[in-house]
Amino acid sequence: MEVNVGALVAVVVLAAAFLAIFGSLYRGAVRAFARGELDAAGVRILRRAVIGQLAIYIVLALTAFFTIPPAPPS
Amino acid sequence: MATVTDPPAMAGAGIAAPPAALTGLPPYTATLLRWSFAIGLIPPVALVVALAARSILLLTFVHVLSGGTWTGFDLFMGLVMSRVLRSLEIPQRVEVAKRLTPTTFFILPSLAATAITAGIYLAQAEGKFDLGSPWIIAAGVVVVLLTVQGFGIFMPNSVRIFIELAEHQPDTARIARLNMRNIRLAGLQALFQVAIIVIMAHLAVY
Repeated sequence: MEVNVGALVAVVVLAAAFLAIFGSLYRGAVRAFARGELDAAGVRILRRAVIGQLAIYIVLALTAFFTIPPAPPS
Repeated sequence: MATVTDPPAMAGAGIAAPPAALTGLPPYTATLLRWSFAIGLIPPVALVVALAARSILLLTFVHVLSGGTWTGFDLFMGLVMSRVLRSLEIPQRVEVAKRLTPTTFFILPSLAATAITAGIYLAQAEGKFDLGSPWIIAAGVVVVLLTVQGFGIFMPNSVRIFIELAEHQPDTARIARLNMRNIRLAGLQALFQVAIIVIMAHLAVY
């Protein structure tokens, strides 16, 4: 099985960028929950959202293992 | 059930609490989010199937369908939904945001990521992925712009809407503003996507 390393790295970089941005918003939500301003359901829904997005990234990462061999430049 | 009733402190102080319908995450949020996830899984799974089958035909189908759906969705949001929302009062806009945000949360990023990934694989498979080509560079620039908008504005705004909705006293004006910003941005994304379709058409023909 030939792995498309470039594709795999791209997915990992995008997933990391997503986690960094989402993580900062999530930390803000947890702090708001600790202050009693936020519903517990809000924190739960954010956890589901991040798990779902990561699942989609994992499926996309799988594509790197099934890449069609490149044709020579036309 | 996340509906919040009037807090006693507010009732005692004679301060009007937000209407119950506008406070807390509604119970249908999780259901809509699950639906969005189920639909959002289809494009990347179809891409894996196309690649595993080594089918250029299926790969082209996945690329065109996911890209076309993404573009159509953004055009609809930018040209139709923005007008519809403008005609609504703030509480009605919030009701739309409550349903629209969880429903699109997985579907749109999944369509975008699949269309872009499938496009790169297709260009590679057809020997057109030449990083020296001005058309490929132009496509790359548009993709970077779309990605930055998605990660930098769309997704954070959607998460902020979730957080705001879950607050005991949500700022409804802020929710409506964030939702409106996302819908206007969808219109801008549609313009970029029309530009990338011009590039794709050139790459497909020449």
